Amino acid sequence: MGLAMSLETSQLNELHWLMEMLHNIDVGLVVLDKEYKVQIFNGFMENHSGLLPREVKGKPLFDLFDEIPQDWFERKAESVFLLKNKAFTIWEQRPYLFKFESYRPVTGSADFMYQNTTFIPLMSSTGEVSHLCLLVYDVTDNAINKISLEKANEELAILSQTDGLTGLFNRSHWESCLQAEYKRWTRSQHSSSLVILDIDHFKNVNDTYGHIVGDEVIRHLSSLIREHVRETDVSGRYGGEEFVILLADTPLKNAYVFAERLRREVEVSVIKYNDIDLKYTISIGIAEIEPTIKSYEAWIECADAALYHSKENGRNKVSMHPKPV
Amino acid sequence: MPTKLLICDDSNMARKQLARSLPEGWDVDVSFANNGIEGVEAIKAGKGDVLLLDLNMPEMDGYQVLEAILEQDLPTMTIVVSGDIQPEAHKRVTGLGALDFIQKPVNKEKLTEVLLAYGVFTKEEQNVAQPVITPKIDIPKPVTQAKSSVAVAPPLKVVAVDTSAPVNHVELTLSAELRDCYQEVANVAMGRAGDLLARLLDVFVQLPIPNVNFIEVSELSMALKDVEASESTSGICQGFISAGISGEALLILNDSSFKDVASLMNYQYDEDEGTELELLMDLANVLIGACLKGLSEQLDIDFSQGHPVVLGQHRKISELIANNSTKWKKTLAIEISYSIENYPIKCDLLLLFTEQSMQTLNNKLSYLLD
Repeated sequence: MGLAMSLETSQLNELHWLMEMLHNIDVGLVVLDKEYKVQIFNGFMENHSGLLPREVKGKPLFDLFDEIPQDWFERKAESVFLLKNKAFTIWEQRPYLFKFESYRPVTGSADFMYQNTTFIPLMSSTGEVSHLCLLVYDVTDNAINKISLEKANEELAILSQTDGLTGLFNRSHWESCLQAEYKRWTRSQHSSSLVILDIDHFKNVNDTYGHIVGDEVIRHLSSLIREHVRETDVSGRYGGEEFVILLADTPLKNAYVFAERLRREVEVSVIKYNDIDLKYTISIGIAEIEPTIKSYEAWIECADAALYHSKENGRNKVSMHPKPV
Repeated sequence: MPTKLLICDDSNMARKQLARSLPEGWDVDVSFANNGIEGVEAIKAGKGDVLLLDLNMPEMDGYQVLEAILEQDLPTMTIVVSGDIQPEAHKRVTGLGALDFIQKPVNKEKLTEVLLAYGVFTKEEQNVAQPVITPKIDIPKPVTQAKSSVAVAPPLKVVAVDTSAPVNHVELTLSAELRDCYQEVANVAMGRAGDLLARLLDVFVQLPIPNVNFIEVSELSMALKDVEASESTSGICQGFISAGISGEALLILNDSSFKDVASLMNYQYDEDEGTELELLMDLANVLIGACLKGLSEQLDIDFSQGHPVVLGQHRKISELIANNSTKWKKTLAIEISYSIENYPIKCDLLLLFTEQSMQTLNNKLSYLLD
């Protein structure tokens, strides 16, 4: 008799401890019936929602938490009832189910608690799924880490391709774009033109007004370039005061119109820096890709040769690499 | 006169399981066929008064066998025994003249009940006290092991294993017999998941023969034969663990499938990524959950599942898998390629078990073989 008693007592104890654990575990536990009325609500849920178990008992979940989209929730839950299968939701698909505050209101950066949830079918004694258990996990730290890592990677990717002063592509990224365009051309044979331009007498600007003003000129030119190119064109800073623009699907004639417009625009612009009014000009060379050009490097050389021609013939000019007839 | 019984299944294990489940006291002469072609030949040779027929087989599948029986008016009574438990599959085979449909893994009570119901086996036979009760069975080793369709997978070193002793030491090889077991267990699990998918989408799911390989993780993307390398894909992975067995389930969907899946599931499809992730998660919940449940029921184990993780969206298949490739060297990969009848939907479910899991898995499987 005494043995039976103590067995019963120890079983009761275990049950009591189990209840205590479920109440104190740092995971949200909710049991719902088929009408989505709350049956069980543990301490985690109580503390984060501010609602007492007796306030929620028997009430429909959607009346208590209007942040839960009813259609979405019922769709997930119904498949659990029907298929007797667990279902999981992750914060990437829906950041939270219950809009709870983040655990670290002072030092944390999240506005709310990111949550993963699990829907577990609960069987009745007849084998029917009569209830559903909802587990709510706090994954705020993971989510924040992943989001900021992704953001940092995106920024890094952009940074690694961009020239700091001008915001145009840097040389290495621009060259790989040119290389890709050259390869594309070998397959498609669509016309494509390369424009190289250089600020005339840039050394004089630097020597006379200093590098800060020189930088201002470079910034001015790059913003003009950005205004003039189409979205599909690829513009980059090639060297100190040298710029390149790749005009996709553009024959030489049209590239010339573009270059000439840019040259004139520069010619008439005035840069105002403190009390200095500064004017400058650019020289331009253009080469359209054609079969005698055997590599992307050779393509650059052709455009460079045309630029040299502009420089030799008095600057502030546009020259074209002659197309073989 | 003994009844001529023909068991037609591509899996050696399934043939054994069936032969073991025959009612006691049945005076029966059992023959075996490894595929549909052999099956039809055996019926013609008079070896199949009664046919126990699997559906998913290489060369010639169960549906084609049923068609051949109808066309050529072959004298046999067919009972389909299949892991494909979709109601539609049931309907189709009875439409093709099968007497009944039994779900795999088969058990003696159910098989006896069905055989009694059709008078193939009678109560009198059941009650005859015969000293020798188990039919004498000589199970031929499958001859047609290599299926041409799985040629993408690296050639496996096939090692003869004495199955009477449990497999204690597993090297980096997979014996033909074990591979067959894995395939059959996967077949049943896949059928469960396929059935749920069919009910969720209200379609007929075409079930493949699961592809089982022991491969380098770096070969994983090559092993995914049904996911086109050129197409962009999205994937979810989910870890699972039980004592001695751990692994990950990967679900990979061709991006071109999303629109159809969305309309089948009555989702308002707008091209924002939110809908696609919802769909992917819904599919993952159903397929991974059901497949693991199917496995755990057969092997008598219980899995804990971690939360699913997005592998990536709109990427090349190689990029999806690349992130994991440093962690494992070898993996037991079970690949199941689901496709949906009349829709260009392709979805690949991969169950990857760690090398360390093989020991426990093999032990569990050896119970099924005994």
